[in-house]
Amino acid sequence: MTEVGASAVPAVEVTGAGKVFNPGTTRQVDALVAIDLHVGPGEFVSLIGPSGCGKSTLLRLVANLIEPTSGSVRVNGKPAPQARLDQEYGMAFQQAGLFEWRSVVKNVELPLELKGWDKGPRRQRAMEMLQLVKLGDFAEHRPWQLSGGMQQRVAIARALAAHPPLLLMDEPFGALDEMTREHMQAELLRICGETGTSVLFVTHSIPEAVYLSDRVVVMSPRPGQITTVVPVDLGSDRDLDTREDARFFEKVTEVREALRGHEVDELELARGIGDV
Amino acid sequence: MARRGSAIRKTLLFVLALVAAAAAWELYKAIGPEDGGSILGWKLLPRANDVSMPHVWDVSARLLDDESRTSKRPIWRVVLSGAWYSFRLALLGFLVGTAVGVALATVMARFGIVKRGLLPYLVISQTVPMIALAPLVVSWGGKLHLGSWEWPKWLSVAVLGAFLAFFPVAVGTLRGLESASATSIELMRSFAASGVQTMRKLRFPSAVPFVVPALRLAAAASVIGVVVAEISTGLRGGIGRLIIEYARQASGDPPKVYAAVVGAAVLGLAMAGLVTVFDLVMMRRRPPAEELT
Repeated sequence: MTEVGASAVPAVEVTGAGKVFNPGTTRQVDALVAIDLHVGPGEFVSLIGPSGCGKSTLLRLVANLIEPTSGSVRVNGKPAPQARLDQEYGMAFQQAGLFEWRSVVKNVELPLELKGWDKGPRRQRAMEMLQLVKLGDFAEHRPWQLSGGMQQRVAIARALAAHPPLLLMDEPFGALDEMTREHMQAELLRICGETGTSVLFVTHSIPEAVYLSDRVVVMSPRPGQITTVVPVDLGSDRDLDTREDARFFEKVTEVREALRGHEVDELELARGIGDV
Repeated sequence: MARRGSAIRKTLLFVLALVAAAAAWELYKAIGPEDGGSILGWKLLPRANDVSMPHVWDVSARLLDDESRTSKRPIWRVVLSGAWYSFRLALLGFLVGTAVGVALATVMARFGIVKRGLLPYLVISQTVPMIALAPLVVSWGGKLHLGSWEWPKWLSVAVLGAFLAFFPVAVGTLRGLESASATSIELMRSFAASGVQTMRKLRFPSAVPFVVPALRLAAAASVIGVVVAEISTGLRGGIGRLIIEYARQASGDPPKVYAAVVGAAVLGLAMAGLVTVFDLVMMRRRPPAEELT
């Protein structure tokens, strides 16, 4: 697993990417403009910004769930469509999205099943993944018998089952309560540390972004673009005390101000329109 | 344990409902007007006399009696064998209708253009009266010859059962196939699943909770279709024919008609029971209803 993290190929390489929805119509939306984004091997990068800034759209471009209008997207050195077919990434959403008709372990097996793995190795790998997220005892449970946080851990196990070098996460902890959320963040860091997986993480929580990330990418809407990149040099072994650290608060302030800076622009823009 | 308890309770409730229905019947006979009555000038109240509404015990006794002076078989055997004959036709119609319904829904879910083109015609198909359609199907079937094989009349009756049964299945399955969440579909796409894989591993399992109630409707529809088709095609041997035959003797032997009706009810219950078994098997690992939210 870790050999992927050690390679020099960037996990994500987005160059000059743009996305226009409904081009040429009255409902045309410039969702993303001139995006350059780089996620190094083993790196944890968060996308943060107000709703409508295109952070989820950017994640979907990387996942090849939508095609860019311009520019290029490469994942682990491959063009995005090829990377998707080769399962170079795993994905987790805000809803765990487990299949209720499958047991927990069968949910984790799903991506391997789709790739045509044999039953034996498939089950073995799924059990390894469940142990990784500390749910080994719940393999034969039904998803609806688990709590929200446990379901989300199963979803992470499922995303990592094929050992992809990259994890794409769209507000995966957004529906969890604060206590569970902090616990899940620590777990995610541990799992990524153990597996060497790179992560591209969409959130709208500033402390979450700072706590998890090596870099926080701040975005602004209309049109969606990257305004600031805040490096977070809190070291690699972060724990509960990290949140009490003075440097943690500095970084939170820095990200908040980067987000505010954009708000001021909005105000001035509104004023400008008012003057006209 | 909880399951077994609820099964006993359900059986008790079923028996209780039967008793209540019989009691309501007898209560109306006791207090209802002998020759019917009007409410605000509308002739609404049915006649409570013994010709229109024979006593429950008279019907029960008639079931044990001989069919007629010339036929010494007890009526319950005649009715039961008629119900069994119709049951097999209804079952065939139900199975064919279900297969056609699921196939149509699958094609419609896969290709939007087929759905837009076909769905209105499916709705219209159900407005065609059975009575009008039955002779047509019989005459079309009569023109079919495959070598020495000839289209039997009973097959027309089963086809008419299927004609009523396929519709709820098609509509229910289509809704079910479309019920998979956008997130689940994106997830399958992120796993590079093919269209066929998405259908098999996501859409079909998502459809099951919608298919089960659709099958209940289809089971009832196939029974109605077969009984009505038996009557309108004049097919002998089934419960539909029996109802018509006994109805002719209604003025002289009123409980006899109801004996046949009881047979039709047993037939309907048998079909419903079959679907319930399917329901229990398919839904055994699903979240209990109260946890679906």
